Amino acid sequence: MRVVADSLAVAVTGGGVLAAALVLARTRSPVLALGVLLDLFTAAGLIRLTGPPDLQRTATAALVILIRHLAVFGLTTGRRSSA
Amino acid sequence: MTIAGGFDENNVASVVAVLVRLVESAGVGVIFLGAVVALVRFVVMGLRHRDPAVFVPVRLVLGRFLTLGLEFQLAADILRTAVAPSFRELGQLAAVATIRTALNFFLGREIREERDQIARGTATGVRP
Repeated sequence: MRVVADSLAVAVTGGGVLAAALVLARTRSPVLALGVLLDLFTAAGLIRLTGPPDLQRTATAALVILIRHLAVFGLTTGRRSSA
Repeated sequence: MTIAGGFDENNVASVVAVLVRLVESAGVGVIFLGAVVALVRFVVMGLRHRDPAVFVPVRLVLGRFLTLGLEFQLAADILRTAVAPSFRELGQLAAVATIRTALNFFLGREIREERDQIARGTATGVRP
């Protein structure tokens, strides 16, 4: 089950990179592209949580979500300051 | 130890293990489906539009799938407690369940914010 979940997570992570690259190319918005990337990284992290409780994997998924909040907040604040 | 009807603890543990697998699989299926749907929609929207606001509904839908998947994982955690675990296993389970519940809470809050953004027509495609 873990092997399947890890494979799916890798696929979602790769898809996230592609989607973020496309969004960045089309909208020229790094913040939006980063948001899309981290959304799909969050999905991948949650897929990896499958299986018996693993504190390290759960903490990693929580960290990804925290980093997402901080990164988008920081970029959004920086953009407002320079506007 | 045999419970009434000859159904012993090992049988209970086996049944619970199967149920846990089923619920976990449902959780993974939901999250993966949400990721695929969002991925396809991001690509389609990205090719058709340049406006960042069109991506907010897609992220809203993804958030809902993730929340539902997390709830399946929480259900599996609760099912695991049906079989008498060791104190260490119980502590680990409690810590993981707490983090998953917190993840669920923050994802739910983001979903509400994005829904409000769409309702106000102020969607910028960027989640704070």
